[in-house]
Amino acid sequence: MHDGSGLIAVQNLTKQFGSVTAVQNLSFTVSPGSVTGFLGPNGAGKTTTLRMLLGLVKPTSGTATINGRPFHQLGRPGRVVGAVLEAQGFHPNRTARNHLRVYASAIGVPDAQADQVLGLVGLSTAAGRNVGGFSLGMKQRMAVATALLGDPQVLVLDEPANGLDPEGIAWLRNFLQSFARMGRTVLISSHLLAEVEQTVDQVVIVSRGQTMYYGPLEHLRQQQQRRVFVQPSDVGALATALREAGVQALEQLPDGRLAVSGMDAKQVADAALRAGVSVYGIQEEQADLEQIFFRLTSGQFAGHAPAPYQQQQGGWA
Amino acid sequence: MGDLVQAELRKTTTTTLWWALLIPTVLVALGGGLLSGLLGQSIVEVFSSSEAEQLSDALGVTPDQWKFSLLGIGRTINLATMFPLIFGALAIANEVGTRTITTTFLTAPSRVHAMAAKMMVYALWGTIYGLAIIGFTALGIVLTSNSGQMPDAGGWAMLTLVCVLSSILMTMFGVGLGALIPNSAGVVVLLIMYFLVIENALQLGLRIAGVPETAVGFLPNGSVDGLTGSVAVDLFLADAGVVPEEGVYWLRVIAGAGGAQAWWLSGLIFLAWVAAAFGGGWARMTQKDIT
Repeated sequence: MHDGSGLIAVQNLTKQFGSVTAVQNLSFTVSPGSVTGFLGPNGAGKTTTLRMLLGLVKPTSGTATINGRPFHQLGRPGRVVGAVLEAQGFHPNRTARNHLRVYASAIGVPDAQADQVLGLVGLSTAAGRNVGGFSLGMKQRMAVATALLGDPQVLVLDEPANGLDPEGIAWLRNFLQSFARMGRTVLISSHLLAEVEQTVDQVVIVSRGQTMYYGPLEHLRQQQQRRVFVQPSDVGALATALREAGVQALEQLPDGRLAVSGMDAKQVADAALRAGVSVYGIQEEQADLEQIFFRLTSGQFAGHAPAPYQQQQGGWA
Repeated sequence: MGDLVQAELRKTTTTTLWWALLIPTVLVALGGGLLSGLLGQSIVEVFSSSEAEQLSDALGVTPDQWKFSLLGIGRTINLATMFPLIFGALAIANEVGTRTITTTFLTAPSRVHAMAAKMMVYALWGTIYGLAIIGFTALGIVLTSNSGQMPDAGGWAMLTLVCVLSSILMTMFGVGLGALIPNSAGVVVLLIMYFLVIENALQLGLRIAGVPETAVGFLPNGSVDGLTGSVAVDLFLADAGVVPEEGVYWLRVIAGAGGAQAWWLSGLIFLAWVAAAFGGGWARMTQKDIT
């Protein structure tokens, strides 16, 4: 039987579909009590990884466990892990309530649970309607309701924000956070960091089937070297002064400004004053997680990026 | 396991397919029964006319005791069990099509458990369809012929047994094939074409090619037809008195048991086909990556 820890562990997971390597030697763990974002561009192997974790796809090598056990050894998996998968289906001619009752009996929970989860996702009024007539957002809510039927300890969601309206996304965010605060585990995949930035505590960033970063979101934010853009009266004099002050990373931008790394705006302005250089404008760059995410994952399709984009990227390096 | 069986049962009762297919099943059974009764009755009346009676007296046979409607019962069951076959075929094919198979596998302890629960529920549905088929076929015959055309209680019991067996096996054959070819439209068209056209053409080809008649009884439709057809012919012969050997051959062909083995052997042969289809489907579904 499983250990009830709520821990997700992926170790050296690899999946080969014919000649295509979807996931390559992927490792990470997800702890209970937090929402972990599983991020990567489309085709990075996120869905395949989640499906291997859920026993739907057989790994070529490596292991994926929930509560210390592979999915098929969980006993009553519906009570341990609930999953919202992108392609999760519904019979179009089955009502929402009946759909949930079918799986309530499979999981072994009372029928009343079906109405309870419908209420939880805000679909009580649509309980008697056929799911075939639901909007994409309603279907996503239905998928969440199905995942919650067994009151699971672990929730795995694959791109759950797809099709949800802003209200739905806000609801999902609050729901997942309170779910995690109860000491449960949430793993949520997305190809947009911005989409989950406000929801997740930690992130696993994958690209080309490999882990690029794994840790708290806060550390990632701190990793970002802030830059200061300054427009001086004399670029050469300020550059010399800054180099003397120990700044190594200096770059002149095409618009005549200097990009300074390793100093904040105040230090740059002080250096300019000491060098007798006028400052016409100064700007501190905000840490942009999306750009870090971009940098971590851009390798995947680097060969196809248009030239201007490459230059811009080069400026960051 | 009981939970999964209940879940599978609910899957079948919460959509319209079970009665959408039960209606034509009942209509075919009733229609077949009415037709069998009418034809059986008219044949006996023809044979009972004075001229025919002289001929049959000369041959030493008693055609007025021939229960021709029995042969129609065999044929009716064969045709009506096409519907439970389709019902079975859609069991897994539909789940793969609507992608509910993902949730099915996510909520079951293992795929083997999910498949086993499905097998039990569809065996139950096979029984329900089988009982409906024999019930409405019998009703059709009762409405159109006199008691002389009907089998006795033992005969009815035997027909009920093989009808239910045939219906269960056809349903299971469908479930297996639907798992092997998880495409709703594809598997339904294939099964209908095979049972109604392809195998009949194959049987004809085998007969023309001079292959021994018994080969037909080893084919899927030949064997499942033999299961019910052989019982119908046996019951016919039990009450028929003397029937010439050539006559028996034609009786078997009419009843759908041409070239078939004894009913129980035919049943075992079809069971082997079911096991092959089900085993193949089972293996495929337990190994398949659900992407």
